[in-house]
Amino acid sequence: MDAQPPRPENAVDSDLQHRIEQFLYYEASLLDRFAMDEWLSLLSDDLILKVPIRSDRGPGSDRPTFSDESYYLHDDAEMLTERVDKLSKEYAWSENPRSRVRHHIGNVRVSDRGDGEYDVWNTQFVYRSQGDSADYKLLSAQRKTTLRESPTGFTIVDRTVYLDHSVLPTKNLTLPLL
Amino acid sequence: MSSQRDRTDRVDSLVATTGEALEEGKYPLAIMNDEAIYEAERRRIFARSWVFVGHVSEFEEPGDYARRYIGEDPFIIIRDEDGDLHAFLDSCMHRGAQFCTAESGNTSHFRCPYHGWTYRNDGTLQGAPHMAEAYTELETDDVTLEEATLESYQGLLFARVVDEGPSLEAYLGDFTWYLDVLFGLTEKGMTVVGEPHRWEGAHDWKTSSESFAGDSYHVLTTHQAGLETSLGKGPWEEIEDFPEASYLACTDRHSGGYYLVDDETTFMGYPEAVTENLNPALSDEQRELAGRSVFHNGTVFPNMSYIHGIQSAGWGGPWLSIRVWQPRGPGQVEVINWWLIPKELEDDEAFKRESHRGWESLSPGGAFEADDLVVWSGISDSTKSVMLEENETLGNIQLGMGDMSEGVDITDDPLHGPADVTTKGLYFDERHSRTWYGAWHQMMAEHGGT
Repeated sequence: MDAQPPRPENAVDSDLQHRIEQFLYYEASLLDRFAMDEWLSLLSDDLILKVPIRSDRGPGSDRPTFSDESYYLHDDAEMLTERVDKLSKEYAWSENPRSRVRHHIGNVRVSDRGDGEYDVWNTQFVYRSQGDSADYKLLSAQRKTTLRESPTGFTIVDRTVYLDHSVLPTKNLTLPLL
Repeated sequence: MSSQRDRTDRVDSLVATTGEALEEGKYPLAIMNDEAIYEAERRRIFARSWVFVGHVSEFEEPGDYARRYIGEDPFIIIRDEDGDLHAFLDSCMHRGAQFCTAESGNTSHFRCPYHGWTYRNDGTLQGAPHMAEAYTELETDDVTLEEATLESYQGLLFARVVDEGPSLEAYLGDFTWYLDVLFGLTEKGMTVVGEPHRWEGAHDWKTSSESFAGDSYHVLTTHQAGLETSLGKGPWEEIEDFPEASYLACTDRHSGGYYLVDDETTFMGYPEAVTENLNPALSDEQRELAGRSVFHNGTVFPNMSYIHGIQSAGWGGPWLSIRVWQPRGPGQVEVINWWLIPKELEDDEAFKRESHRGWESLSPGGAFEADDLVVWSGISDSTKSVMLEENETLGNIQLGMGDMSEGVDITDDPLHGPADVTTKGLYFDERHSRTWYGAWHQMMAEHGGT
């Protein structure tokens, strides 16, 4: 991970913190209920959504924990639109039946980049269950999101999802789980 | 609670049923997601086959190592200070403790965390705490880590636990001809980029291993949504009739399929850095096959599969993906998925961006594979049904058998190499399944009683 979250003494003011948290909660609710077209409308055209591969490293290893070469997802806005289109089809078996998804978002920390852009870190548990079963999976992650604020609200201009898994515990990784 | 004897009898009975059923293009569904079968597979197949454990490009420097598994046995693949590669069991010779604490890295030594026995990266014991007083009579030269036999072909590393049977090259047999094309395409060979994907799937390792060996017929249904969401298609646009462009090559154990076009300069969509550096060791036929290729997939028995080409519907590539279907218990699997490119292109960032996009189709997040994984887990769920066992229900793998399927014929065109190759085979010939289960049956029967 490149930039780090701010120290507490550098926290942004509570109004900005509040507005950003409310945006993240709103966005999470869109993912939870598969409102993917509305979710797409929150993304900027030049966004790249990255989910780097995480490796299990020994202490002191000089190799990176998160790969900068290989990813589970490395998608631009066009590809994300294609994925959303695909997910909407009846025969998209990866999400037919639909997963039951719930994001639990916490530890939101904000750093002001200037020019109305903010780096936002949050941790999350994403619950997923699917089909005729009580089984469920939990995906744990830290996200780093860059938001841009305009009079009409926030836009997501960059996002990386740092998974807490070196072996994914779920059979596939679809957009609502990120 | 059934006794060991009962379980072995049950396994041997299911294996015998498989042998009989295969003669009519069928197999008992009860062999899927079954604990007794699974434990027998670990011993009869995984311990006695050449199992893929990595690619040579992952271990370039002395001390480079990675944790890999043969069946469920944890191994460390490592290059020693003399440059030799080894596959050591991750289990200390003192009390059996595990000592490798990372997925991959570089080390000259491993130190066991229990009592401190320390091994050099060639597997020999270097010492232990208070060696001189604690072990006055231990012959340290006799203490070396348990080691599986390791051999390589075209950069592919395979290891075998019980060192009996054919050499790796003999085990691969006629399939080496196709591995030459796919893994020895250029002079410098292929190289792994980044780290592999790893994820857990809720399916039997047999299902995916056998499917990757040559099933394009499922694409129409399982991947309908992916195909409807088409991006730029590239060389696929030249294919008007998918079944007609598809071929299936089966040897005694291993199978692969491919799509060809007429244009001999296609080379799976690779740029000039590849076509100008083709491996001179390839024969004219191998070179023509590579030139006309759009896409390949296949499986080296038991559990290594590959995809090499440009992905259909324009979902990225060209790329080479190697995956291992790592057994993780009955009806459970871990998938390890490597990305490789020709070494000549390893510094070409623009190529790598396009190549990486192959994973947008086939990976846990892939538009195609995400669907496979759901279907395969459904097989695992349903095939543990008692009813399938009681009724001895047989699954059907008869496509392409006898006169079953139109246009599926063995071709004698030398372009297709030494295997038995059928036209329309990747679509309408389930010979890959019959070959795969034939190899499974042979090993399960030959090593019966264990």
